[in-house]
Amino acid sequence: MANIDEKLQKIAKDLLESGEVSLVIGFAVGSNPQRMRPVFITKAEDANRLSFNHHAVQDLAVFLKKPEVKKFGKIGIVVKGCDEKALNALIQEYQVSRDNIKIIGVECNGVIRQNLADKGETAVSEASVYDKCLICNEHTPILYDYLVPSEDPKLNLSGNLKPYARIEELDSMSPEEKNSFWEKEFDKCIKCYACRQACPLCYCSRCIVEKNMPQWIDTNLEETGNAQWNLIRAYHLSGRCIGCGECERACPVNIPLMLINEKMARDVNNLFGYKSGLDINAKPVFGVFSESDFNEFIK
Amino acid sequence: MEDKKEKPVKSGGNNVSDPRIIAFVCNWCTYSGADLAGTSRMKYSDNVRVIKLPCSGRIDPLFIVEAFKKGAKGVLVSGCHPGDCHYISGNYHSRRKYAAFRDLLGFLGVDLNRLEFSWISASEGNKWVSVINEFTDKIKSLNDNSSDIFKK
Repeated sequence: MANIDEKLQKIAKDLLESGEVSLVIGFAVGSNPQRMRPVFITKAEDANRLSFNHHAVQDLAVFLKKPEVKKFGKIGIVVKGCDEKALNALIQEYQVSRDNIKIIGVECNGVIRQNLADKGETAVSEASVYDKCLICNEHTPILYDYLVPSEDPKLNLSGNLKPYARIEELDSMSPEEKNSFWEKEFDKCIKCYACRQACPLCYCSRCIVEKNMPQWIDTNLEETGNAQWNLIRAYHLSGRCIGCGECERACPVNIPLMLINEKMARDVNNLFGYKSGLDINAKPVFGVFSESDFNEFIK
Repeated sequence: MEDKKEKPVKSGGNNVSDPRIIAFVCNWCTYSGADLAGTSRMKYSDNVRVIKLPCSGRIDPLFIVEAFKKGAKGVLVSGCHPGDCHYISGNYHSRRKYAAFRDLLGFLGVDLNRLEFSWISASEGNKWVSVINEFTDKIKSLNDNSSDIFKK
């Protein structure tokens, strides 16, 4: 891995020294070697902290929405293919200017599930990576200013593992069965809104759940409002979610949020032929319409 | 809101035999269509409560969630026919978002028979009557246990 790290550090050092960026967001080795943590580098001499490997799970694009980060102006960011899609979506929605960002893309052949990594798993394989890696088409970032090649072996897919298999399972259930499945899941929700905080695309400075005139979503300590919150969160990300899986990873009570996100991504693709985060020049799917849109459900 | 002015139905609307249906309609087409039905003395099911909004593009999916939460057994969303929007494109935007929102509701276990969409123009009083009557019959024929996910 040393080779990747050196390349990353060199890029970051050059960018900071030349003044092209004033901040580089990247990964550094955590106190536990099986975990990578985000690092914010403002001085060229600190660039040697940068590192990357298959434990670099987090989507760093989430930091771009923070005012503390925005004030740096020109920013360099280390991204995997999936994270880079989030960046594209942010550019599409005018949240980030392409001119202000230097994309340091890293080839990624999958990141290891953290629960397995904590048990000592260090090999990227079909069984050890997240579901999002199994359906990933963007192992090499779509858009980048610098590209660091991967040293991990290509992910071998036998096809025996079905990513997000629960979606088809749920699709075939009756409304009552689906209802009771989700009721059980949403009952666990403790309204911590970590799913929102971890999401690179949930950038509203005032979220609908914080608006209380009128109050659309109940925010009390009981289960009231759990279903509304989770539904509206998913709805606001329909056609936007790029599938980085950070919401599900952040969820302290393990609600399978990616099932909903992935389901919506598939449906939006079926209905409108649109996948989020692939093209910075594309218009967001719900910002436009077509006269020939799906009309079957309307009398 | 329109529903407040009307006298509550005897059973309070929570009875299975008397399900409450909320219709979110646009000001320019469907509301006028419903108005036409009324001024023409046409009879339609009194289970429906009409909430008028400027445009079907203004009908936020949150309204539907709120209606289910408050105990509605069915929700109708209705606006101008494609191409007829008073604001040119509100109904097109609405159609696109509801195509997706409907899928999401269905995935989370809301019976999609409880959610109806229609295009009703200002001259289609009779269509309004038939949409409301058919929808009411459909709701009455359903089991009463769906859409509970929002009530908690």
